Amino acid sequence: MLSSLTEALRQVMAFDGVRAAALIDIATGMVVGSVGEQGTDFPAAAASMADEVRTARGVAGFGRLGGDLDEISLVTKGRLHISKVLGSRPGEGMLLYVDLDRARVNLGLASLQIGRLAPAVLA
Amino acid sequence: MTTEGSEDGPAGPLREALTVCAAAGMSGTLRVTGHPGGAIHLVDGRVVAIETPGAPSPEVLLLRSHRITESDWDTAFAAAAVAGGRMSAELIAREMVGSGELEGVLRTALADAMFVLASGTVEEYRSEPGPVDFVLPVEPGAETEWLLAETSRRIRVLASLPDRYDLNRVMAAPGAAARPGARLVESQDEILALADGRRTPRDIAFALGQGVFATILQLARLREADLLVTASRRMTERDRREPGHQAPGDEPGSPSKLPRRQRDRSALLRNPKTAELRAPLRLLQPRFGRSPGSGETP
Repeated sequence: MLSSLTEALRQVMAFDGVRAAALIDIATGMVVGSVGEQGTDFPAAAASMADEVRTARGVAGFGRLGGDLDEISLVTKGRLHISKVLGSRPGEGMLLYVDLDRARVNLGLASLQIGRLAPAVLA
Repeated sequence: MTTEGSEDGPAGPLREALTVCAAAGMSGTLRVTGHPGGAIHLVDGRVVAIETPGAPSPEVLLLRSHRITESDWDTAFAAAAVAGGRMSAELIAREMVGSGELEGVLRTALADAMFVLASGTVEEYRSEPGPVDFVLPVEPGAETEWLLAETSRRIRVLASLPDRYDLNRVMAAPGAAARPGARLVESQDEILALADGRRTPRDIAFALGQGVFATILQLARLREADLLVTASRRMTERDRREPGHQAPGDEPGSPSKLPRRQRDRSALLRNPKTAELRAPLRLLQPRFGRSPGSGETP
């Protein structure tokens, strides 16, 4: 039996250029579920993503950035890391984290596609 | 022999016992005696639920965080009981929670309970093969490797914090009064209102309906911002058994060792969420048809 969460994350994997997708609990930095290529440092990277959200919220939380934090994009030479904030209680919410191959995707398009699919991960 | 949780992860024998149960594809319960102790339920070698008085159960997380209202829960619980169906299916069918979201809550609760078990003491354990009866099991169950790795990560994170955080150490918030201009987000304000010098991280986690580990991380951040102190005493078994018992320094009229934040009272009254906490919690009372010791606060 496949978990409904794993099934939803596999839908994200269907996009071109996606290497890995994971649901991360922001409050603890825990990888709740994941699919795709993950190195041994994946849990540590996930926890760092959760920390980034907290830092960004610290800045965005005082109305400077025009609303609640929605997404964080981190671009390296070879990869795109898109973290989409999903509202969820209890806790500080969940994060849909997607690791993409930069040579194969366009940041704007990937963000749009992931944003459309994100609510289905928790549904 | 009593084993303490260590930086290596769950107390060695517990890790070993769980690995053996998983390898054998056991269905049943691994009962852990100790403090706080608990029961790890497995189906086909995968962990479907952990019950411990040391960590909030999924039910406490969903209700206390107001994710699901008590009346909705009761309705779903009654419907599931009448139909002989699963509570999780009922909650999802009634659109009270999404299936992915519920799985997230259940896995988070599982990891938190395992962390609490592993951070405590283990006196003995025994496996009891047999059917598992739990209100909200994780389906499919969690792999033991994932659970043990996450527990080890949490214990490492805890060890890396500048102060020692203990599940039973009382937290107090005298710093906030000294820094009235401090900028707080909503959840921090709730925690400061609850950190009254008598509650432990575990108590605060139960009150807010969130995990113990998440609560400790929040307390650590407040401590770092000088808004909180770690009190000099631990909540002992005697404190828990005797609600009226007062620790040294807490006697009325005597100078307390713990500076108390004066605005606690008004903060509690102002905040509608924490104001509810003054009333006895229905949630904490035993319910009909529920297994005993389902991780709720005594």
